[in-house]
Amino acid sequence: MTHSKAKINRLTPTNEDTLGPYYPISLCDNDSMDMTKIRRGIILEPRGEKIVIEGCIKDINGNLANGCLLEFWQANADGIYRTPLTETHPKLDPWFNGYARHRTKDGHFSLKTIRPGINKGLEQPRAPNITLTIFSDGIMRVVTQLFFDGDPTNESDPLLLAIDENLRGRLMMKFAGATDDGLKKYTIDIIMAGDNETPFFDDLLS
Amino acid sequence: MTRYGRQIEIGPTDNTSNERTPRNRLHLIPEEARASFAPYAPYNYGINPGEADMTRLAPGRPRAEGDPIKVVGKVTDEFGRPIKNSLIEIWNANKYGRYTHIEDHSGLALDPNFLGIGRTLTDQNGNYEFWTIRPGAYLARPDINRWRPKHIHMSIRGGSSRMITQMYFRGDPYNDTDPMRILMGDNFDKNIGIEFETPEDDFDCGYKFDIVIGGRNPTFFEDI
Ligand SMILES: [Fe+2]
Repeated sequence: MTHSKAKINRLTPTNEDTLGPYYPISLCDNDSMDMTKIRRGIILEPRGEKIVIEGCIKDINGNLANGCLLEFWQANADGIYRTPLTETHPKLDPWFNGYARHRTKDGHFSLKTIRPGINKGLEQPRAPNITLTIFSDGIMRVVTQLFFDGDPTNESDPLLLAIDENLRGRLMMKFAGATDDGLKKYTIDIIMAGDNETPFFDDLLS
Repeated sequence: MTRYGRQIEIGPTDNTSNERTPRNRLHLIPEEARASFAPYAPYNYGINPGEADMTRLAPGRPRAEGDPIKVVGKVTDEFGRPIKNSLIEIWNANKYGRYTHIEDHSGLALDPNFLGIGRTLTDQNGNYEFWTIRPGAYLARPDINRWRPKHIHMSIRGGSSRMITQMYFRGDPYNDTDPMRILMGDNFDKNIGIEFETPEDDFDCGYKFDIVIGGRNPTFFEDI
């Protein structure tokens, strides 16, 4: 790891802190949980298969974790993330940012998006996934990644292979029929603590 | 390579922390998957004039009750490189310790001239500035008489930089029993605003609060 060499000259990071219970709801006014529409009122849409993901965040007692701020991030239908490095990528989708944010009042969420694709140009291609960041009262930021249950590429995904086999199922979004609009629906419970706890990842030390 | 990262600790006397803190260690992210953990937020913030002045509801309106303070600082990564054009969201209680949030049921006094919500952007050098009212402490656990010390919540989001933190005040009598302050240990100093005298006399004082965003995310797409 080249990054650890420069440690001596680094500044000490400010401590992250909890979200607290009173994150202003109105600050999410311009956020959307529909990644298929990055601009309202236009007919153009991103490439790919539209899907809906329904889930909830639960605490150690199985109760819904109210008041969390959730952020989602994913690649487009061709597996390309929108970043400064991909702004001129031929497979960047002009109608897809792959970013959504939502403050959940009761712990539930519903995300409309497109099924992320696979970037075949990578040496070790990733299975389709969605990155989830959770901010909550009582805890600082935690991050994880959600996968599609049964997708054959899961078998060779480097992140899934980095965790114990018996934990992988906890990151799987399960197919749950169709929405009223005929879109495929997937569901997942995120368990913040305790039995069946969702695996979370360390993006500060990694 | 070890497989495990940090163990997040539970904030003492914080029930929500007990209910929501993962009991297992965090997992390290293999390099092949690391880029997918640097979410890049699109820039779509429209900041209105006056949003960085939380001492009034809008320009020209009366000042809220309590001590007006100015908070300034610089946002950087661990190498001191400025984090430009990032959105800073700010929220804090009024001088009585009350939030205007619809879920704050404390019954403490509201101030009709104080919203307690602000936004600003960092400039090309990573600097930011906002004005607010010095918040009051509030009783978080009446059953054990545990108060939350005065604090200002801040969220920083720009590019792949992401942090939510709180600025505290030196000498607050409730600092020592605050659950997250206890977890921060000696590092708590990083989260204290440093007081300074402002040239303008319509502020009680200023606080300098530099923010260092740790890890690789802040400059991930510049690094590689
Ligand atoms: Fe607070």
